[in-house]
Amino acid sequence: MLQRELEAIVGERNVLWRASELLVYENDALPGYRRRPRLAVFPGTRDEVIAVVAALWRAGMPFVPRGAGTGLSGGAVADDIVVLGLQRLKQVLALNAGARTATVEPGVVNATLTKAATPFGLHYAPDPSSQTACTIGGNVAENAGGPHCLKYGVTLNHVLAATVLLPNGEIIALEAPRADRAGYDLMGAFVGSEGCFGVALDVTVRLTPNPEQVVTLLSVFSSLDDAARAVSAVIAEGVLPSAFEMMDNPTIRAVEASIYAAGYPLDAAAVLLTELDGAAAGIAEDVQIVERLSRACGATDVRTATDAADRARLWQGRKKAFGALGRIAPDLVVQDAVVPRTRLAPILAKIAEIGQRLNVRLCNVFHAGDGNLHPCIPYDASDADESARVHAAMKEVMELCIAEGGSITGEHGVGSDKMAYMDRLFATESLDAMCRLRDAFDAERRANPGKVIPSRHCREWMSVRGVEA
Amino acid sequence: MTTTSITNVRDLADTVRAAFEDGTPLRITTCGTWPESLRSVRSGATTLDCSAITGIVEYIPGDLTLTARAGTTLAELEEATARHGQWCPLSPWGTDAGSFGATMATATRGPLTTALGAPRDLALGIECVDGTGAVIRGGGRVVKNVAGFDLTRLMVGSWGTLAILTEISVRLRARPAVDETWSVPLDGDGVTERLHVLRQGVYAPLACEMFHGAAARAVGLSADAALVRLGGNAGFVAAARSALRTASTNAAPHDPAVWTRAREVHAAPVLQTLAGAIDRPLDRRVKAQFDPRHILNPGLFAESA
Repeated sequence: MLQRELEAIVGERNVLWRASELLVYENDALPGYRRRPRLAVFPGTRDEVIAVVAALWRAGMPFVPRGAGTGLSGGAVADDIVVLGLQRLKQVLALNAGARTATVEPGVVNATLTKAATPFGLHYAPDPSSQTACTIGGNVAENAGGPHCLKYGVTLNHVLAATVLLPNGEIIALEAPRADRAGYDLMGAFVGSEGCFGVALDVTVRLTPNPEQVVTLLSVFSSLDDAARAVSAVIAEGVLPSAFEMMDNPTIRAVEASIYAAGYPLDAAAVLLTELDGAAAGIAEDVQIVERLSRACGATDVRTATDAADRARLWQGRKKAFGALGRIAPDLVVQDAVVPRTRLAPILAKIAEIGQRLNVRLCNVFHAGDGNLHPCIPYDASDADESARVHAAMKEVMELCIAEGGSITGEHGVGSDKMAYMDRLFATESLDAMCRLRDAFDAERRANPGKVIPSRHCREWMSVRGVEA
Repeated sequence: MTTTSITNVRDLADTVRAAFEDGTPLRITTCGTWPESLRSVRSGATTLDCSAITGIVEYIPGDLTLTARAGTTLAELEEATARHGQWCPLSPWGTDAGSFGATMATATRGPLTTALGAPRDLALGIECVDGTGAVIRGGGRVVKNVAGFDLTRLMVGSWGTLAILTEISVRLRARPAVDETWSVPLDGDGVTERLHVLRQGVYAPLACEMFHGAAARAVGLSADAALVRLGGNAGFVAAARSALRTASTNAAPHDPAVWTRAREVHAAPVLQTLAGAIDRPLDRRVKAQFDPRHILNPGLFAESA
């Protein structure tokens, strides 16, 4: 029996099978999407992970790798299969300050890694809003982003190598391409594979030196349109802020009513949080450009954070905005669409129109600098009528973003939630190619099956497998 | 050896599908700027000349993104983006007579790579034709995108052995307001180490390449020297300049045109030392999925059974 076999590997207390214990693993941070796993197993060492995956392989049992479960796409949910929880593997295995690299186990929390690097004047750059909880393994699976990815790049740009365990037990050393060696960038292919290719046993990441100076600006606008135009103007001018975030009035009100109150003006239609960092010399010029263009686009006030505590407060409001929005209704749905930056203003106007027409509380808090929208709606999922309107609104928002040449997800992943939009973005031949890439890693579809690509798009490839030359 | 010229993706897909059915090996070329002798495809292959699959498909300066077909030359991209004070900072080893597609397919780096990103970091999306003739798209045109498994990273740097790139979207950069080139004589006394420290610090240059002996002479330098490119706004470059002068009191301004020659001189050694192999089971399975009959650029990567 699989349960006993897993217990023999990881110990009884690290295998959960009672309904009451599994309850917390029925969902991730995507609300309203619950599936009951058969079992949840939590290996504590690399060898235990390998033994567990081998046992699952022998039993023919598919599994869902899971970190902290902070994902917003329903990607870490297991429908009557096994949850493979990796959060007990939380050792920083090596930190090389000279080379600016760290090798960590998959369960290391994002913010913990930065904390380990702090004494060396370094940090781990990708900073998803959930960084105090989410794990590096999960970040790699989702190719996670965050506010500071505008300047520093997403997870993909910071992962140098990983040791990956495939569902069939194969262990592979993947490495980002180097100057002196050509070959397939399977490291790049693995990052963002949403747990469908295998499990990272360790990950080597690049650490980033802390900037010499950081300037954080809060710009206040009396219209969303003005704020969106200011974003386009700054980007087009060639200034590259390290972060460029927007919050609209409903979000500002929710934040200010919460313990994360940051001092955003309650009557503002929108605020922009702009951060410039790097060498001290030259920052002043960029600050002036941001200030000038913001005012030219209609900013009523632009102020600079006075000190580190003020900056932390301004940022806390932004990073905890989803938490603050979560307080005003029992449920919160968050989307993750990306649009061309020059189209922000008209698209935000259309999103507002959708919210009004369907009578839902559409709020916007997002990574404006890279056009990564997070329209969200606080609502009551137990109200069937409201739920229907919320889902209709989100569908319209997604279709709008697709029609504008955007993407359905910038950093949260497809998971279960956005599968229905995949064939709007990609033709069957392209979806089939994605399935073929997965087949190279996991032909039996044992790792996180049924996610990302709707299975009807995956052509069987048996006829061609036979002719390998 | 026969050559077939292709002008559009549909014809390319039909040609590859026919070759897939017949098992005809194909050698993919665009502008032919790589020295053939250094990385050659198994003899007897039909040459597919894709240089006519060309043109900028979409360029929205405000978005700092550009989509162009694979046969477009780097010189064309340079000209189009320079008009808007932007650049596509691939600037690979070799020449701007080379194609966008070949640069991305080979993931060729250049002097700006460390500062501004390798081809895999700049690529946003691709269209390609795989070894069965399927037309595939991955990624998109927006700057942040995790929809679907990452075919873009898979194809960039695969040297046309999994699929033939036909169109690529990339992120662009604004050209720095100040951009100047310096030469630093490598005259001993720890200057190499001090340049290394400079590269790691807050005033890191856009590029820093060292040329010794024959390479230095070929670039037109009178002695062994580093070429250093400083870029940013006026305040940044002023500070970077004094940091450079601290590293070497002999640093002197240099004609920026030197980079053209420097890129050419460096190309051959890069190609000669670059090893590539399809030797692990996972590599072979990927190959089997996208080019099951091994018709795309056979022999370009060492293949083990």
